Amino acid sequence: MSPDRRAPVHVASAAPTKEVSVLLCPKCGTSVPPGFPSGPFRCSFCGTTLPVGTSESAPPVSSVARPGSAGGILSVQGLSVLAKAKPLISDVSLDIPEGKVTAIIGPSGCGKTTLLRSMNRMVELHALRVKGKVLYQGRDIYDAQVNPVLVRRRIGMVFQRPTVFPTSVYENVAFGLRLDGESEEVIEKTVVSALHRTGLWDEVKGSLDLPALTLSGGQQQRLCIARALAVSPRVLLMDEPTSSLDPVGTQRVEDLIFELKNDYTVVIVTHNMQQAARVADLTAFMYQGRLIEFDSTKRIFEQPREKLTENYITGRFG
Amino acid sequence: MKTPASFGSDLVPTSGRLRRRILFDRVIGWVLLLAFVAVLFPLFDLVGWVSSYALPTMSWSVLTENQVGESGGLYAMIVGTLVLISLGTAIAAGLGISAGFYTAEFAPPPVRRLARLAGNVLAGVPAIVLGYFGYYALVLYTHWGFTTLAGGIILGIFMLPYIFRTTDIALSNVPPSQREASLALGSNRIQYLRRVAFPIAFPTILTGIFFAMALGLGEAAPLVYTAGWSSTPVQNLMQPTAFLTGGIWAFYDFPRSYGTFLTLAFQAAFLLIVIVLVINIVVQVLSDRYRQRLAGIYE
Amino acid sequence: MIPLVVLGAVIAVLVIASGLKDFGWTFWGFQYRFVPGEPEASSWGIGVFLVGTFLTAGLSLVLATLLSLALAISSVVYLPPLPGRLLSMVTNLLAGIPSVIYGIWGFVVLAPYFGMALEPSLKDVLGWLPGFGGPDSAIGPWGTLLAVFILTIMIIPLTTALMRESLRSVPRELVEAGLALGATRWEVVRRVRMRVARNGLWSAVLLGFGRALGESVAVAMVIGGTSIALPPSLYASSTTVASFIFSQLDSALLYPDLFILLVEFSLVLLGIAVVVNLVAQRFTRVELATATTLGGGG
Repeated sequence: MSPDRRAPVHVASAAPTKEVSVLLCPKCGTSVPPGFPSGPFRCSFCGTTLPVGTSESAPPVSSVARPGSAGGILSVQGLSVLAKAKPLISDVSLDIPEGKVTAIIGPSGCGKTTLLRSMNRMVELHALRVKGKVLYQGRDIYDAQVNPVLVRRRIGMVFQRPTVFPTSVYENVAFGLRLDGESEEVIEKTVVSALHRTGLWDEVKGSLDLPALTLSGGQQQRLCIARALAVSPRVLLMDEPTSSLDPVGTQRVEDLIFELKNDYTVVIVTHNMQQAARVADLTAFMYQGRLIEFDSTKRIFEQPREKLTENYITGRFG
Repeated sequence: MKTPASFGSDLVPTSGRLRRRILFDRVIGWVLLLAFVAVLFPLFDLVGWVSSYALPTMSWSVLTENQVGESGGLYAMIVGTLVLISLGTAIAAGLGISAGFYTAEFAPPPVRRLARLAGNVLAGVPAIVLGYFGYYALVLYTHWGFTTLAGGIILGIFMLPYIFRTTDIALSNVPPSQREASLALGSNRIQYLRRVAFPIAFPTILTGIFFAMALGLGEAAPLVYTAGWSSTPVQNLMQPTAFLTGGIWAFYDFPRSYGTFLTLAFQAAFLLIVIVLVINIVVQVLSDRYRQRLAGIYE
Repeated sequence: MIPLVVLGAVIAVLVIASGLKDFGWTFWGFQYRFVPGEPEASSWGIGVFLVGTFLTAGLSLVLATLLSLALAISSVVYLPPLPGRLLSMVTNLLAGIPSVIYGIWGFVVLAPYFGMALEPSLKDVLGWLPGFGGPDSAIGPWGTLLAVFILTIMIIPLTTALMRESLRSVPRELVEAGLALGATRWEVVRRVRMRVARNGLWSAVLLGFGRALGESVAVAMVIGGTSIALPPSLYASSTTVASFIFSQLDSALLYPDLFILLVEFSLVLLGIAVVVNLVAQRFTRVELATATTLGGGG
């Protein structure tokens, strides 16, 4: 653990389509480095030891070629979300690679928002039942021992419509920092840098004390992104972040997403295929609660494997 | 950060403050729940004590016999309460519903605002002030003396704002699409109100009426000054009358050793609780069911 | 227009009834002494009654606000939907219990407990606080504290329902935005819900206040009311404008001066209630729907 969590973490990610098999500790699920030496297995996290050659010691998972499977910062495994008995998404597995923009597309009602909202336990607020796992840093975020607060601190979210609080511009960005009881100096520094980061600084530096609701829609949305960045998350989930914005606002937010991806992992749900093509490195296509295809954006848009994807991409339905 | 050493490290509270925040959130959830104990305990205590005073000597004769000196029952009070509440409901519903219709559908916006304001203020007027108003206007000024009629009228005024407001709100909440659809099909306002708005709003209005009745049944302040008191069942509206809340007020401070007065007061209280609770449950069920049934329209 | 007409009529009739009789500046003073048939020897200060009214209504409002907030927050945020709704229903049932019944319960059941158990121990523990040190009520166990307690229970259903409604009407997206920033449920309540719903919460408090200061019957039954002087302690009996008007009927029938005085007291009470309600309305529009199903004036 680095003591300064505010410093952006630059990690080179695995090549998107390289096939890797990952070894996991059978007890706690920690991934074991691929170059694991032969010899007795000892999990560095839970301390489980297993003799050499135990068949269950290192079951390979993710043997299907999934983009960036090894370095996935978030790994969704066999996830189903049910409202009463009706599945909203069923048996979805995908790995979100670190430091990339991943888009989730699909027709309305396909479960893309539900999938996104299950990645930081937002689904729990709607009395939905979750089956399967979402691993973050190798640990299931739905583990009973894990508090959702901790999940959401690291996996932030930006919503369809700007959700600014009825306080000043400054206080909106400072919201998460105040909870942490940071000193006023730290707060000010972080607020300013978050506003710089989102390109808002020049636009709002004179009006930090004005109510945030006086900003334009696009500015409000970028303020929400700044607010999310201020608590230094590692993943940013975005639920159709531009659907309520005008073209100029949309352009700004897209530019911002493009710029953020070096330091943050971004997952964006969009109904706008052009947007996915513009901003995303990887694209997942969902249909009727299932993940149909997940690959590099280029591949999805140029030569999809599945007929269904092709039909959607070419506008035969949607 | 990708080595196994970082397994879930972000998902473990790293600072004392974070741990305290999470703990506080859990604890406060339970602490707040204590408030329910603070509220439920008096409720059960009240119902329990009232029942324990009222029930041992409760019998049909309590309801059907008239009080004579130290013995007898609540008959005159029950009759009086029924007459008063019927009178009050008739007046309040008549005035309140028509005022609500006018306000929601016909009144120009400034008048509408003013009427709503007045309705809300009227609901906030202390009952005792209405009672004193009734005492002057209907008891002294008219030279009627204490009469059932005066009691009924004041009770009606007391209940009026509640019925007015629910009618107004129920009609105003009918979705504009319903209204436009109806008017587009060529019906006029009256037809729209009768055929479309009223059926949609009716259950809410009914809820309002029931609710106002429950409130009216429990009031003593507006009646003591207007309906007076009488130990015999009321024969006509120009006589004073007994009523249940008045009975409680009249007998509550008799010592327990002194005859059956206190018991009678508790029996009146018990009867009122039962009636009012039944009405309240009906209101809740009615409004719940109504909300479900109309969920589609209001989406 | 009917509500407006009725409201106007009430005010007009009371003004006419009072004949705008001027009791002199002592009307606003703290001297109240009624000598039947001798207007010269009497003085008619409303001060003591106003102090009693604001004291009882104010204290019960503080208690009720705290409890109602707790109830509203836990049923909106912490409890699962079904128990939350069930407990809300039970709280609503409290609203249906007539005020005379609270009165008789307070007078017969609670008073001995207050006089023998609660008040002595309060005196032991909080005696150093002004008002808590004694002396006891001179007329038995009835007094200010009991009235405060009864009023608290009586206004809780109204304030709770209003607060619940305003906390619930906070846009879901804002609540989720708070949670998505890693706030705990409590922090979202404090920093998002309560801030967004601030107006609604204030109007709930004010409507509760209006209700408490207008309550006459229940207060008249438990507050003692015999001593018309400032209460020396919370345990002592005191009196409020509303309960005084209510309990003086017999005398008013006999003495024209007292009758007119009570009319003017009514006007003062009405004025306060109208102001409180108007201020409450400035705060909110939405909550009135709930107020309708729970009642306002006592």
